[in-house]
Amino acid sequence: MPETPDEAALALEFDVLAKRAGLAIPEDRKAALFAGFKDLRRMLATMRQPRTAADEPAGTFSIQSVTRGL
Amino acid sequence: MMAARLDVADLSLVDAADAVRKGEVSAVSLLEACLANLDSHEEAVNATIWVDKEAAFAAARAADAKRAAGGPIGPLHGLPLAHKDMYYQAGRLSSCGSVIRRDFVPDYSATVIERLSAAGAYAFAGLNMAEFAQNGTGHNRHHGDCHNPWNLPYITGGSSSGSGAAVAARFTFAALGSDTGGSIRLPAAANGVSGIKPTQTRVSRYGVMPLSFSADNVGPLARTARDCARIMSVIAGHDPRDPTSAEMPVPDYEAGLTGDLRGIRIGMPSTYFLDEVDAPVRAAIEAAASVLAGRGATIVPLTLPLMDAVATYASVVSRVEGATIHAEWMRQRPQDFATHINGRMFPGYAIPATYYVEALSRRGPILKAFAKEVFSQVDLLVTPTIRTCLPTLAATDIDNGPPGTEQVALGISTNTRPFNYLGLPSMSIPCGFDPNGLPIGLQISGRPFAEAAVLQAADAYQRDTDWHARRPEIAAV
Repeated sequence: MPETPDEAALALEFDVLAKRAGLAIPEDRKAALFAGFKDLRRMLATMRQPRTAADEPAGTFSIQSVTRGL
Repeated sequence: MMAARLDVADLSLVDAADAVRKGEVSAVSLLEACLANLDSHEEAVNATIWVDKEAAFAAARAADAKRAAGGPIGPLHGLPLAHKDMYYQAGRLSSCGSVIRRDFVPDYSATVIERLSAAGAYAFAGLNMAEFAQNGTGHNRHHGDCHNPWNLPYITGGSSSGSGAAVAARFTFAALGSDTGGSIRLPAAANGVSGIKPTQTRVSRYGVMPLSFSADNVGPLARTARDCARIMSVIAGHDPRDPTSAEMPVPDYEAGLTGDLRGIRIGMPSTYFLDEVDAPVRAAIEAAASVLAGRGATIVPLTLPLMDAVATYASVVSRVEGATIHAEWMRQRPQDFATHINGRMFPGYAIPATYYVEALSRRGPILKAFAKEVFSQVDLLVTPTIRTCLPTLAATDIDNGPPGTEQVALGISTNTRPFNYLGLPSMSIPCGFDPNGLPIGLQISGRPFAEAAVLQAADAYQRDTDWHARRPEIAAV
């Protein structure tokens, strides 16, 4: 997932994902949605980071518990 | 341009409430003043979706009768308010800015509406907003775009567009907005009013249209920080009907407004929040820091950690959750959303579950790291709410603009969205005007549940400046 594939592969992926989500994307909106999808793929490519001890389940977000730790 | 005239709608919420309590002004006269401004300027501003004048006058007359009878009155007694049209009120329209919910009339009321009512206020209008609270500009295909009262071709910010515009235009003394990525702070900044996004879980979300389970917040927009403090004291606190709401005690926010910032350390981030900032915005923020320093605060230059990761994770979480909530409508009636709303939600279906879980699982460690590194050095952060001078509605119209328009529109929330992912309290107050006569916002953010400190700094700033008291001269259409 992180690496961004070429345009044709992205278009295929876009169609598959829409079908899997049960979406029938209107033809006149396809270009706009595809542009957003490509931005998303670029963004997702930056997401993976090394996991550390801080990422164990005990680190799950709870704003009240974080407050107590300050 | 400033207006010379004064009317009772120019009073701050606190001053109006105090005037009613003392019998110096009637609830009916407050309502009449708000409606006079609405009748004069609504065609130009388009801040409302519905207005119920008949019920409003009945509520105002009842408030005056109760005060005359010597009955107990609350801290918002007799105040006419209007809210973003996504706060459920039993038996009243709640369109959520959409065509899909054009006729939606809930049979129950939001906890925040009930709390405001118990404090003596009443709602007389549903305010314009981005469709399902999903853009930061104020565009709305179904109900018409909301226009900035300071300069009509320009954006109001969103998604609580009508809330910001209506408070600035003196249609109401305050309004509830909601904030998932900046939707209270952006319209507060763009319209020259004050607005606070509380700590995640500080205010109940029961009876409020959801957009993102993890990032939605309820909060007020009003003329002053003190106004926001009064409303926060009314609406904050645990709600058994919203199990996600925090069980922490609610301080008397107004009592903490001393004007004294001695001993307070305020961080000015040198990275991220000031990247590519427009010169008039930078100048206004630096001048604001000087005012805060004049009240005794120490200004500390700061480099913030993790900001790019925060921005990415925030986007992943809100897109997936928004797509989930709207899935059935996206499948069955996609044409009933504006194209840019379709475009915002579709990526939510394209994000693998593992990425969503990763974005959520990083939230705790990132908040801990951020809090440890930043709040060991400072008590508050000040940044621009919006990095740029405000763009026009035309320049940010994703559905009709040229390629690249989306990036301009999305860039509006670059400085606000991180605080939703982190869950921190964050407020915008006016701190100047750009060359087009449009307001500039100062964003003040603090530790979890440090709304009192945020409000205190905002109030201290407003004691030495008058940006918040200025009134737009609204052009006729």
